[in-house]
Amino acid sequence: MISVTPTNTQAGSLDLANLSAADTALEIQNLNLHYGEAQALYDISMKIPKNRVTAFIGPSGCGKSTLLRCINRMNDLVEICKVSGEIRLHEQNIYAKNVDVAALRRQVGMVFQRPNPFPKSIYENVVYGMRLQGVNDRRRLDEVVERSLKGAALWDEVKDRLNESAFGLSGGQQQRLVIARAIAIEPEVLLLDEPTSALDPISTLTIEELITELKEQFTVVIVTHNMQQAARVSDQTAFMYMGKLIEYADTNTLFTTPQKKQTEDYITGRYG
Amino acid sequence: MNTWFKSGKPYIWLTAGAVSVSLIAVLGLLALIAWRGLSFFWPAAIHEVEVQANDGSKRVIIGEIYDREEVSLERLQESGVALDGYQEDTLERLLFKVGNREFVSLDFMWVMEPQIIRNETPSDLAVIERSKDGNFYGYVVDVIENGQSVATAESIRTVLFERIERAVALNEQAADLQQGEIGAINYELNRLRLERRALELEGQLTAAEEQRIAAAEEAQRAAYQELEQQLFAYRDQASRDSVVMRDMRGEEVTIPMYRVLDATFPNDMGWFAKVAHFFTQIGKFITEDPREANTEGGVFPAIFGTVFMVLLMSVIVTPFGVIAAVYLHEYAGKNAITRLIRIAVINLAGVPSIVYGVFGLGFFVYMVGGSLDQIFYPEALPSPTFGTPGVMWSAITLAILTLPVVIVSTEEGLSRIPSTLREGSLALGATKAETLWRIILPMASPAIMTGLILAVARAAGEVAPLMLVGVVKSAPMLPVDGNFPYFHLDRKFMHLGFHIYDVGFQSPNVEAARPLVYATSFLLVTVIVGLNLTAISVRNHLREKYRSLEH
Repeated sequence: MISVTPTNTQAGSLDLANLSAADTALEIQNLNLHYGEAQALYDISMKIPKNRVTAFIGPSGCGKSTLLRCINRMNDLVEICKVSGEIRLHEQNIYAKNVDVAALRRQVGMVFQRPNPFPKSIYENVVYGMRLQGVNDRRRLDEVVERSLKGAALWDEVKDRLNESAFGLSGGQQQRLVIARAIAIEPEVLLLDEPTSALDPISTLTIEELITELKEQFTVVIVTHNMQQAARVSDQTAFMYMGKLIEYADTNTLFTTPQKKQTEDYITGRYG
Repeated sequence: MNTWFKSGKPYIWLTAGAVSVSLIAVLGLLALIAWRGLSFFWPAAIHEVEVQANDGSKRVIIGEIYDREEVSLERLQESGVALDGYQEDTLERLLFKVGNREFVSLDFMWVMEPQIIRNETPSDLAVIERSKDGNFYGYVVDVIENGQSVATAESIRTVLFERIERAVALNEQAADLQQGEIGAINYELNRLRLERRALELEGQLTAAEEQRIAAAEEAQRAAYQELEQQLFAYRDQASRDSVVMRDMRGEEVTIPMYRVLDATFPNDMGWFAKVAHFFTQIGKFITEDPREANTEGGVFPAIFGTVFMVLLMSVIVTPFGVIAAVYLHEYAGKNAITRLIRIAVINLAGVPSIVYGVFGLGFFVYMVGGSLDQIFYPEALPSPTFGTPGVMWSAITLAILTLPVVIVSTEEGLSRIPSTLREGSLALGATKAETLWRIILPMASPAIMTGLILAVARAAGEVAPLMLVGVVKSAPMLPVDGNFPYFHLDRKFMHLGFHIYDVGFQSPNVEAARPLVYATSFLLVTVIVGLNLTAISVRNHLREKYRSLEH
């Protein structure tokens, strides 16, 4: 049996069920998702609080990544994927017809499982989002690069080789570069899809420390298959199983006194 | 034995053997055409041989040994050659290139090896390269200026070379004048004629306009008169000297110097002189225009035409192929119709190239070109501008021929790009088009280059369709020159592939043209390899730049 003790106690507990509108970053309501005939998400409803780290945990194939990718409509890329229900950002349903998906993705940034720097220099990677918005003023871009790389705790390591290829960085550095790239356009929400699963333990630790810092500016949603990680970095945790949201609570509460049998079985390592 | 089979070694031998066979085939082919082609430029010794025929008559032959072969006695007797007193089954016979085309019935002669009673290579024997009637072999007797001898026995070679140099320089000046300034005047006169005709067709040829054009024409004609005088002056000067040669009949022949391009004494050459001569000849072959119905001289217009046409084709085929591949891969729905289109595209690559030629002639030349002429060049009709085969139609026809290759390899490149990079770009708020333009296409560029390499390799060697849509035996003008608008895409052009066919099979003098066939083939291969190597180095550079993530 794995013993999991929440260590993150910085954030106070919140009443997740009755979160005030001011504290809510995202509200998911009755979300169902089908891949063709197969249903992947069943009637998910939850509120994700602002400036906090929310973790989705659960066994492989439970739908936690799918749910995450719904938040910035990454699932649109999958042709056979059908979504019903609502996700509200600023009281606006992001699945409404008139939503500009590109604008949504500028508000909801995402970092993927494997580091995916572009085949460009470190500098150009960071300013990619800015350039897309038509910003080409060198001074402003320089500022953004410095701020973002500092924000991603990478500045000191790369400040002397900003014009070198991003492929020259180590895996952990690449992942922080990708985070810097995501925060360069100042999103409100940052989605992290198993950001450390391809990294070594030391890089993982650096990223985890970074996540704790990031929540001061951003609302962070992280998917992880690593329960210790969820316990270390998140303020609240959602446990999912077979496409259903089983339990959603403060991380402390969820790991110490889970309400559902399935949650307890999972966090004690009986399956998954 | 059984364990040997099980060890997998036989398969290594089998596969390695297949590779070796391919390698030997390729290298053998290259070596053969290189040897046959390049040895043509090596200065061959000139032999003076005395031949005694069976009836006792003797004669002298001067020339290069061009070929030798073993012939059976039986065959010789059947063909009516009287050979008495020979017991062997076969005889060796030699083919002499004796040149002097205007004085002998055939400039190639077979000689039975046993009939040769004397064979020498005197160092005084010269070969004179001429602009007409091919090479002349013989002894230099005298150099004449205005009917007066200007050489002594000691100084004759120096004087000869001096005079040749002078005549060649004058000829060059005359040619430059003719192709440059006189060519420009002709071009301008033709333009004025078309301008008048255009105004006439529109009914706007007023007296003032007529007067303006006539004045311009008059000015051009006056300039032409002047240049013509200059041209004649050059020609007069060039015909001042001549060289007297003694040929193998023992007769003295006077050759005007303006016909002489070069004189060499190959029997008197050291190894270094021969190497220098070899490279000079290759240089001439590459840079000069063909002469004598393509059997002599260089192939520069054909090299230029080939490279120009291939570059033009690349410029056309790349954007088309890439755009089509992007649509098929990125935007088209993944359904039966897309699959059908893809299969159709791949099958297009299997259509015989002559069919594309017929299509190009029918559709581009006659339909599109004819319509263009009606709309934009009515003043030139009935003589067609674009409604006739030309370099542009050739490039477009070959672009269609090579389109499938570019589409297929671009699509392959697009599908190899990791989806995480697409997602990364989209997640930063890029639209699909922005992602394509900023991430996907740059990363697919090595694959696009691969497509282009294959396209170039195929197009540069293609001859059959070009014969219908633009290639000619001899083009008077290159498709690029100094006359505005500089690129004349309506012109016909020469092509190395067609040149090989023309020299090898359409030539009036097959024997003389044979080494040119090899030399031109070797050159064509070199040009294609050169184009490919350029493209490959660009691709490698791009690959290095867009090296994708390790997955």
